[in-house]
Amino acid sequence: MRILIIDDDPDLRSLLGHYIKQRWPDWGVDEYDPLERNFPADDFPLGEYHAVILDYMLGRGDGLEWLQHLKKRHDCPKILFLTGAGNEIIAVRAMKAGADDYQRKQELTREKLLTSLHELTAGVKERTLSPELAARAEGHSLGAKIRIPGIKVLRLIGEGGMARVYLASRDGDDEPLVVKILRREILANKTALARFMEEYAMVERVQSRHVARIFGHGKSEEHAYLVMEFFEGGDLHKRLTGKAIDPAEALRIFRELMFALGDIHEKGILHRDLKPQNLMFRQDGTLAILDFGIAKDIAAVDRTHQGEVLGTPRYMSPEQVQGRALDLRTDVYSAGVLLYQMLTGRHLFDGETAMEVALQHVNTPPPALPPQLERYQYLLDKLLEKDRDARFRNADEVIGYLDRKLGPYAEADVTQKLH
Amino acid sequence: MNEANYKVKVARDLEDLIPVFMSNRKKELDTLRVALASADFEQLRQLGHRMKGVGVSYGFDHVSTLGKYIEDGARSGDRAGLEARISEYAEYLSKVQIAYE
Repeated sequence: MRILIIDDDPDLRSLLGHYIKQRWPDWGVDEYDPLERNFPADDFPLGEYHAVILDYMLGRGDGLEWLQHLKKRHDCPKILFLTGAGNEIIAVRAMKAGADDYQRKQELTREKLLTSLHELTAGVKERTLSPELAARAEGHSLGAKIRIPGIKVLRLIGEGGMARVYLASRDGDDEPLVVKILRREILANKTALARFMEEYAMVERVQSRHVARIFGHGKSEEHAYLVMEFFEGGDLHKRLTGKAIDPAEALRIFRELMFALGDIHEKGILHRDLKPQNLMFRQDGTLAILDFGIAKDIAAVDRTHQGEVLGTPRYMSPEQVQGRALDLRTDVYSAGVLLYQMLTGRHLFDGETAMEVALQHVNTPPPALPPQLERYQYLLDKLLEKDRDARFRNADEVIGYLDRKLGPYAEADVTQKLH
Repeated sequence: MNEANYKVKVARDLEDLIPVFMSNRKKELDTLRVALASADFEQLRQLGHRMKGVGVSYGFDHVSTLGKYIEDGARSGDRAGLEARISEYAEYLSKVQIAYE
């Protein structure tokens, strides 16, 4: 196998080459420095390579133009295009121009690079795919077959329990979008299908800047889909990665979350599954809630069976763990768990099993914040009350507290020393 | 700057690549200084962009962070801000401690 790396940065070329050679010592890796050499001439032996890694900024050239020219050649191999983080328009343009895969350069890990190359060259190698790669290959091939009027499905970017997630764009522009395709096995499950379709119906009703925008949905014999907004800022999970967030920023995010909850609760919707993966950021830093897959219309007939517990144990309210009827305060509690994690960089509760974590929400008092975060202790205590009657009743009440006690015009601390 | 930012953990198998990487960062610092002295904002932007891309790839997240500031500062022509960031980069390169694991 031979790989060509086209990038203006020698350190990056060395690093990518090292990763490849370390995993596949018999592969050949050639570097191409666009600062030293012009665009490959017609006699350049492009067809001898099995994949090309091409950067989008080449120092004195535009990677997209190089991509378009390379793809015009009949002997062009698969191309992995490297884009800037938070700039998915480039990714959309690259995929529309014929790139076979893309990766965000700043987030390109060894595993992501090798997985991508493995997939790109899988058709060439006579090798059995691992179940994981086979599943991804199935996802890619499904994406290529999906036909949604006016929408081009470009690349598999994520897989969840219920749906596969694809980068997409409209035919007429390069604005990135997300298409969620319900898994075939879920499509056959009437309850799960109803939940998926309900997500669209509920989100459409909300019309809030704090909720992911939905641009369309549909269902056929083969698949059910949602077309929705793409979030260039990624999710809260990506921001946390075991580190605390600066308290001012954590409070800003939390406040946005409260506005989001206020909007959905006003429409009579409980989210019931708040977690870092469901809080998304736009490029301007604003937050929107995603994934109403298990959200529930307060007025609807409860489709969950008695005792069935939905949600993510780390963020569940005590009443959710106990399988009791839920109200707005369940989301307020989960938001409190998220705030604790943002401020400290740690989970509120840890445990060996999901059940052990979940039960602590019912039985274990929350750990105190470290001294430097003491001013947020009362807020957290009120969010994380096990007895929901003692908790903040709704998002408006929380926002009121934030404004009065922690905002720029907060009331003076009555405990301050008198001079 | 927080002392913890000067400590960088790098995968053991990258040890052979690091001397060249660090040498290139020092050359980059010199080039940044020359570009700032001649108010060559386009070159500053390109260098900042390159730092942003390569730093985190090797585990030097702060190089990427500074690269982003330099790229943004070059776009807005913020000479004083660029000077401060380039000084911070010089200090970072002189103090950074690498642990291979």
